[in-house]
Amino acid sequence: MPHQCVRCNSFYEDGAKELLNGCGCGGKLFFFIKKERLEDMKKIADEINLSDKDKEQIEQDVFDLVGSEIDRDQPVILDLEAIRVLRPGKYELDLVHLFKKEPLIFRLEEGKYMIDLVQSFEKFRKK
Amino acid sequence: MINIVRSFINKVLRGIFKKKKNFKLGLYGPPNGGKTTLANRICKDWLGQDMGTVSNIAHETREVQIKEEISIKSKGKELTFNLVDTPGIATKIDFEDFIKSGMKEKQAKERAKEATKGVIDAIKWLDEMDAVVIVLDATKDPYTQVNVTIVGNLQARNIPVLIVANKSDLKKADIKKVQAAYPQYNVIGISAKYGNNIDQFYEGLFAIAG
Repeated sequence: MPHQCVRCNSFYEDGAKELLNGCGCGGKLFFFIKKERLEDMKKIADEINLSDKDKEQIEQDVFDLVGSEIDRDQPVILDLEAIRVLRPGKYELDLVHLFKKEPLIFRLEEGKYMIDLVQSFEKFRKK
Repeated sequence: MINIVRSFINKVLRGIFKKKKNFKLGLYGPPNGGKTTLANRICKDWLGQDMGTVSNIAHETREVQIKEEISIKSKGKELTFNLVDTPGIATKIDFEDFIKSGMKEKQAKERAKEATKGVIDAIKWLDEMDAVVIVLDATKDPYTQVNVTIVGNLQARNIPVLIVANKSDLKKADIKKVQAAYPQYNVIGISAKYGNNIDQFYEGLFAIAG
């Protein structure tokens, strides 16, 4: 599964060393992208030309959204299909996805994180 | 004999514990439906105080608000609950909408971010609820993706629901249309702002809490 750097939009394959050490641009936040959506994402990335300032702002906003408990110096992989940040201040929310209790971020080993923002839904699953 | 005493003590302790677990009543719905206005109405009626601030600009409530131990009485019955007012649930949050309402860009972007987080929090809280009041704006189309998603998810979780068709004081309000959209639910037309039909709403609360 590919990953995309939030800051510079570069794509990395699963297991790439950049995912562990951080992207060449210094970004440590990656979007997790499903293979079937990769082509769409590449097209969107070409169409929307975000300035560096916008990218930094989005990165900052995403950090604020997922909570302060994550370590900003470690690479973080986001599965943000439930929330799309089109540009700073413009958000699209997939409610069906959000209600489905799927985690927004995955923590893998070696400094990668999984933060289950919807962990309280676990209770429902156990019922 | 010891067993009898022990089971008696257990029963008493369980009784106390049960009473301590407060019934949680959640207010859910799209932005600007009047959730906080209704929360304020309930708090004013039974506690004599307000709960939160209201605004014409959408997404005024961006954090989950809780008011504990509200006791309401109707026809000799009493119901005590914790009232949970939640941020409005939306599929699209755009700072430009706030700018149109006269907000500065930086403030509008911050509001959009907080509102997005608010949606996540509202959904997170859903499983904590014992019953939910869905507050809809009766002047607007009731068949939206947000409304249908909220109603469907509550149904899937077996959480008792009361639907309020708010803003009945406005000319454009169409309570019957909301009732037709959700025929399997008790839909009560009210004006949270002016308190119209509020007694029937309190009756409805007893019905979903019982």
